[in-house]
Amino acid sequence: MTKRLKEYPLIDATEPNLVEEIFDYNLPPLIRFEGPITEVVDGRAVEFDPRTLKTRDIFITDTTFRDGQQARPPYTIEQMVKIYDLLSKLGGPRGVIRQTEFFLYTKNDRDTLDRCRELGHKYPECTGWIRAVKGDFRLVREAKVAESGILTSCSDYHVFQKLKFKSRKECMDSFCEVVDAAFEAGIRPRCHLEDVTRADIEGFVLPFIQRLARMSEQVPDNLTVKIRLCDTMGFGVSYPGAELPRSIPKLIYKINQECGVPSDRLEWHGHNDFHKVHVNGGTAWLYGCDAVNATLFGYGERTGNPPLEAAVMEYIALKGDLCGIQTEVITETADYMRSIGLPIPDNYPFVGKAFNTTSAGIHAGGLRQDERIYNIFDTTKLLNCPPRVALTDKTGADGVAHWVNEFFGLKNEERISKIKCHKVARWVADQYEQHGRMTSISDEELEKKVKELMPEYWKKYNKRAK
Amino acid sequence: MATVLERVVAVTARVLRLDPSEIKPESTFTVDLGAESVQSIELVASFEEEFGIEMDEDAALSVESVGDAVTFITNLCGEQGVEI
Repeated sequence: MTKRLKEYPLIDATEPNLVEEIFDYNLPPLIRFEGPITEVVDGRAVEFDPRTLKTRDIFITDTTFRDGQQARPPYTIEQMVKIYDLLSKLGGPRGVIRQTEFFLYTKNDRDTLDRCRELGHKYPECTGWIRAVKGDFRLVREAKVAESGILTSCSDYHVFQKLKFKSRKECMDSFCEVVDAAFEAGIRPRCHLEDVTRADIEGFVLPFIQRLARMSEQVPDNLTVKIRLCDTMGFGVSYPGAELPRSIPKLIYKINQECGVPSDRLEWHGHNDFHKVHVNGGTAWLYGCDAVNATLFGYGERTGNPPLEAAVMEYIALKGDLCGIQTEVITETADYMRSIGLPIPDNYPFVGKAFNTTSAGIHAGGLRQDERIYNIFDTTKLLNCPPRVALTDKTGADGVAHWVNEFFGLKNEERISKIKCHKVARWVADQYEQHGRMTSISDEELEKKVKELMPEYWKKYNKRAK
Repeated sequence: MATVLERVVAVTARVLRLDPSEIKPESTFTVDLGAESVQSIELVASFEEEFGIEMDEDAALSVESVGDAVTFITNLCGEQGVEI
């Protein structure tokens, strides 16, 4: 018997359908959902409705100064104060970037925290990070920090192999003593469940979380335990149907729905060892974590953490609104990070030098006709970074014309045709055909040639040159 | 005085570095005469200069053969009041 296929007749059109309800050029492309997602948990189908993301108070927390700093030489106090200020500006007044965490061990650590708080920003709230050692709460209390992360590693790799506990019970008792100490100090503990995606979920993680939930019932709301799910080695997977402990949907469902930890006390902290870090963060939002922990430009231990700027774009795409976020601060932050020695690869999304630069002639031709064809969104408006063309042997006259028009900042009928750019296009072609050049042509070289070979346009427009 | 065809052939020969005898009215710029992307632009710019006219970029670049170019330029000269 042949399978009956569905017919899709051509819907003819004489006007383009640019799908602008999703690809509104003024925003990152929206992520819209048709309906609920089904996941099978313990043989039972359960539903998650991602459409609730539009109304849920999801947010981003930052760990640039903690995990981010573990992967590089320490920042100076001045640098951290500047970065904190940029984070606040980027996240906007609604606190989309809600918290950032600080080490509290040295005088420098504490001075930095004080200097950041002196800026008077409401967001991001400064929180601490300490080891699971009771005595460390003195540091947190002295720093007048309301919340602190504490290490509560939960896979047997950590419990037995690293921390050398004799049993899981001994380990859990020890962690709970530290949580009690936090309560006594009036500090909200945020338990960092290290290596959770490699742990025995039903044998240790859920019993531990249930014990924390019972302990939380005895304290005021502002002290109740938060849970940070640390995908320490990047083992977490987003695919529906994947098994525990790697399944992010199942993990969050069990903690959220079976153990009753509310979404606003659940946070995801990922690592990029398998290139899954960003999508895993988005998945955590989708299945019930309100917080995704991130670092600027993904800089963090080994392969890094969820890139904060990508989480910002995802947030806007899910919400369908800028929500007070100042996206152009992403570019300002990247420029600042480069100036203090943080390398950002050219092809890195949103801020790499080539992220919206095309060198293929056919793409340059498309850009010249309508920049939306080859630009992800209005990068001029959202990132203060117009689309560009890198000139190589593949670029052709279209690319040269695009470069010239962008250089002079010409729009619409003012734009110069490629015919008028033919001498520069010839010079570019000769660099490769006649002189065997192997590198792309720099902006400085092009500027010089435009001045020499298009003097009438140079005279007319050079004051507007970028 | 040279005809439009002779002037078109002369410009084409100079830009594409060909012997004028190789260029026929039926020759296509890209396939027969081997004009590459940048050379096509240079040809249009050189025709503009030779005849003192302004060409629409897309229309000019869609002209395929030498004979078609002669017709295109002749019409444009008429429209723009340029004597040929």
